[in-house]
Amino acid sequence: MNAAAPSDDTLIRIRGLTTVLSGKKVFDALDMDIPRGKVTAIMGPSGTGKTTLLKHITGQMRGDAGQVQVDGKNVPELGREALYALREKIGYLFQNSALLTDFDVFENVAFPLRQHTRLPEVLIRNIVLTKLQAVGLRGAAQLAPSELSGGMARRVALARAIVFDPMLILYDEPFVGLDPIALNQVLKLIRTLNETLGITSVLVAHELDAIKQVADHIFLIANGKVVAQGDPKTIAGDGSPWTRQFFGGEADGPVPFQYPAGDYAEALGFPRSGA
Amino acid sequence: MNARIERDNIVTQALGQIGACGLFLLQILAAIPRSLRYVRETVRQLWFVGAMSLTIIMVCGLFVGMVLALQLYHVLSIFGGTAATGTVVAISIYRELGPVITALLFAGRAGTAITAEIGLMRATDQIAAMELMAVDPLAYVAAPRFLAGLIALPLLCCVFSALGIFGGHLVGVTWLGIDNGTFWSNMTATVDVWKDIISGVVWKSLAFGAVVALIAVFQGYTAPPTSEGVAYATTRTVVASSIAILALDFVLTAFLM
Ligand SMILES: Nc1ncnc2c1ncn2[C@@H]1O[C@H](COP(=O)(O)OP(=O)(O)OP(=O)(O)O)[C@@H](O)[C@H]1O
Ligand SMILES: [Mg+2]
Repeated sequence: MNAAAPSDDTLIRIRGLTTVLSGKKVFDALDMDIPRGKVTAIMGPSGTGKTTLLKHITGQMRGDAGQVQVDGKNVPELGREALYALREKIGYLFQNSALLTDFDVFENVAFPLRQHTRLPEVLIRNIVLTKLQAVGLRGAAQLAPSELSGGMARRVALARAIVFDPMLILYDEPFVGLDPIALNQVLKLIRTLNETLGITSVLVAHELDAIKQVADHIFLIANGKVVAQGDPKTIAGDGSPWTRQFFGGEADGPVPFQYPAGDYAEALGFPRSGA
Repeated sequence: MNARIERDNIVTQALGQIGACGLFLLQILAAIPRSLRYVRETVRQLWFVGAMSLTIIMVCGLFVGMVLALQLYHVLSIFGGTAATGTVVAISIYRELGPVITALLFAGRAGTAITAEIGLMRATDQIAAMELMAVDPLAYVAAPRFLAGLIALPLLCCVFSALGIFGGHLVGVTWLGIDNGTFWSNMTATVDVWKDIISGVVWKSLAFGAVVALIAVFQGYTAPPTSEGVAYATTRTVVASSIAILALDFVLTAFLM
């Protein structure tokens, strides 16, 4: 039975996702509904599995149990052809840009168009230059990826992720390394793509101030589960210990700051206190 | 006791690698029809691995031919058979030295470049980025490089052989004074197109090209995404290719000739 009607307003439906990586339970029966046509932010402490979650959505990784439905299709069950057909509709911004070093900036942005369409050269040129203009790098079109700064590379990767006007864009830390001007432009861009083309956006980021300006909904994940969710105005003040600690930046609370480890004193070679 | 465990490990590791490499070959072969869309990429790789190796192949071919003629001239002069110098130079180059040395040089020059390039592409997430843009890296990255190696090696072997015989002529005729007519007519009368040229320059080179390209692509594709991982993979490409070329050469010679 195919549960997803076209009118379904949940684009990504995750049910009971459980994933164990090198002995650590990264997701523990995670449930999440990401609405269609909205900007959704996923937050959480470093190393909780935000990048891993995006990899599950694109089928780069499979969980040990549970369902990840994207546009009505259960991603872990898709074959190669179906998975690639789905990926053509998804734009992905890598945490580390991942530009193709064989090509210059222009060809990097044009790459998805050249692979999947037979558009005339003039049109490709127009689309690519429009996207580069949107991220403020039209003048850098002829540079090689190695000639870009980190922030510029992110913006080129962003232009490449949106060049297809996909159904869904996944941004892994889009704001890292951007100066305040570029940050504002990127925020506006995410908002415009969402409002004018109805593109669903999922963004993973740590900058609460920036997220407040674009996101319609925030999920806070920790310990393999969604521990809080809500709209950006109210979530920080919802009073739960999770949000108080995370948005307050406190080291002590339910969210562990330390990666699971043995006794500290013992690791340093001191006798155990009290012994 | 310990040494035995160590050896078992090395043996099982090597067998495991060979098995994985064989499976990878099947994957590449399955990806070749899909890679026909990327003809331009194959041509670009052909330029990269073929044309860029030309200089080293030409220089080495010339010297191998020259040294061969010099050695043979002195040995053959003992029996008063210096007229056969051209023939022996040609046959040894066509049958053995051409394909084998070309393949060894190709592994060092182009194989390492392929491994390092693919290894770094994986380490910098470029392979993952292609997968996410719905471009199959097996069809876009692996298959074109494999095909390029397969096509380039026989061509390079032709160049090597031509330059080798030219080098033999240079030393034998121009320097040591063998009669020009004798040099060529003895050679053309004795060298057999099928038994010497086709089986050596064509079949052996095709087999070596497939093996070197497969090993290079496989090592790059499976290299751990670290600087150390890519460095080791590059070394392994040279070691494994050299062993595979010489072992395969023995088998092919036994069957072809
Ligand atoms: N390939 C892998 N093999 C084993 N463990 C992995 C692998 N990838 C990630 N992990 C583990 O999964 C956990 C989540 O990693 P992930 O990269 O998703 O974190 P993240 O939430 O994106 O963190 P950050 O905010 O720092 O980017 C980490 O504990 C990491 O050690
Ligand atoms: Mg991450």
